[in-house]
Amino acid sequence: MVTSIFKLRVFLIAALWLATSVGTAYSVCNQTAASQADQDLWNDHGCWEEYFLWQYRAYDMRESDWNGRGWNDACNINLEYPKHWNAAYLVTYGLIDNNDQSFHGTIDYRKTAEAAGGEFHNGLYHTPSDRTDIFGRFAPGSPGNLQTACPLYNATSANANPGSRAGDFMHEGWHAWLDKYNWNNGSFNGHRATQGACTATNSCDYFYFHGISKYVFGAMWENDGTANRFHSPNQVQVEFLCDVADQPQSWVPASVRIAAQTDANQRSAQRFINGPGYTCGSPRPW
Amino acid sequence: MKNLRIFKVFTLMVLKILLAALVTGIFLACVSTQVVKAPGTEERGGPSPTPSQIYEKRTLHQPPQLAGSGEKARKSVLAFIDWASFSTVDEQEDARNVIAAARDNDDIANVLAEEAERARVANHSRALIVLSILGEMRNPRGEEYLRNFLHLPFPEGGTLVDGEIVEQTALGTLQAKAVDGLAYLRSESGDKEVLWAVANHPSRVVRAEAINAYLWNHKDSNDARDVLRRHVREGEEIFLDRVRRETGENAESFNRKLEIYLKTHPEVIPPPPQHNEGKTQQDGSEEDKRSEYPVNQPPIW
Repeated sequence: MVTSIFKLRVFLIAALWLATSVGTAYSVCNQTAASQADQDLWNDHGCWEEYFLWQYRAYDMRESDWNGRGWNDACNINLEYPKHWNAAYLVTYGLIDNNDQSFHGTIDYRKTAEAAGGEFHNGLYHTPSDRTDIFGRFAPGSPGNLQTACPLYNATSANANPGSRAGDFMHEGWHAWLDKYNWNNGSFNGHRATQGACTATNSCDYFYFHGISKYVFGAMWENDGTANRFHSPNQVQVEFLCDVADQPQSWVPASVRIAAQTDANQRSAQRFINGPGYTCGSPRPW
Repeated sequence: MKNLRIFKVFTLMVLKILLAALVTGIFLACVSTQVVKAPGTEERGGPSPTPSQIYEKRTLHQPPQLAGSGEKARKSVLAFIDWASFSTVDEQEDARNVIAAARDNDDIANVLAEEAERARVANHSRALIVLSILGEMRNPRGEEYLRNFLHLPFPEGGTLVDGEIVEQTALGTLQAKAVDGLAYLRSESGDKEVLWAVANHPSRVVRAEAINAYLWNHKDSNDARDVLRRHVREGEEIFLDRVRRETGENAESFNRKLEIYLKTHPEVIPPPPQHNEGKTQQDGSEEDKRSEYPVNQPPIW
């Protein structure tokens, strides 16, 4: 009887531990600090509650995925969920949308990044990933799963800034576009082998050059089946980063703009088989 | 005795069943509440102001000065970095004026160099800001630092993330920013380092930026192109013709440059995109298994 009661106690403790830990996703990403660019953009909105209460729905995010990552501490910029919505804030409000100067408009970038299904992609949802060997990943499904990983959140990582994180929303969101319309962008996780002018290891795309004003705002999803009117994931990412660097709202901090320009230009130089892509902004230091 | 034993076993079984039901109930309750639970905060009370209200209260166009020596210079630099990093597009000229006014202050340049060293491993976007200020400053001590920075040993290996070694990209992008500063000196010594980078830097990111910065600082002249042709690596000549999209440039100007580029380099026109075989195109009407939240328009900025 004593043994049975002991077993029952062990069972009870284990069951309670299991019950209380359900839904808690422990993070291995570094959540002890935020980069200068994250902190500067954060100071622009000062933790805008009304926005993040809209954002988690628009990006289809759940406590079960983001618990332990700032879901219940959404004003702590050191944590992953606040960093995610900080980047989303840049997408929602950060561009001036000049049809004579911008590659694409806010409507294009929002529809690429946000969850709702439509012309840009079928429905998707955002989750964090503890992987350290990727920036992000799109897992097809119904709905698809857009994952963003530690190198976009760890403060010491070069890509842990709002522009680069939002740029990855575009990159992965564009994989969702490829998936929706059944385009083959290569067999290496949706990219092509190292070749031509691309120096990245099996993470290469083509750059489908197009002029400014060639896509009305809202039409980035369109293609005509030829290389004249098409986009690759890295290209959408570069064009978004360029627009953050060169076509931002005045209040977008210098640290965010300069980091976006830097990411656009390095990506443009390294990731295109028929590269380089465009270079963004002036090389004047300030 | 036997009845007592049967009673105990029976009681134990009933308890286990009740416990299992309890655990299942807790599990289902957790799952159901997580689906609907909104994110929250630990410290905030009451509605937060909108960003436009915060922006209205900001005092623009009043940068701190870069001045002083010793400890005063240090405090001045730290305050200026914070201001400059947060500064708006409209304050770009304010920042440039303050930096230009500090051009002859070696103490300021020294502190900036120390801050760049501190930030380059710990905080990449801060390091970019500090290197940008140093480059804009055109100070001899700053030049010395940028030159040394450009020649920092480039990592041969590291952590592969989505096809790139991130330690290389991190240092390469900072060294590209250092090249911008050296090119902006528009001096013989600065150009010497830029041209060294065009030919010899192990990073394609740095070589590309060196070409871009050299051209821009020499007004994209034919003479500058001739100089670069003597230094550029075989296979990278196309960087001399690369299309640059500058801030505020309109469609007509950009599109003209792009048209010339594509005529000059028809080899960069990619092949037509291909569909996957054996799969059908989705029509977008497929119902999601995970239902979407009802979403309205975002709040007004």
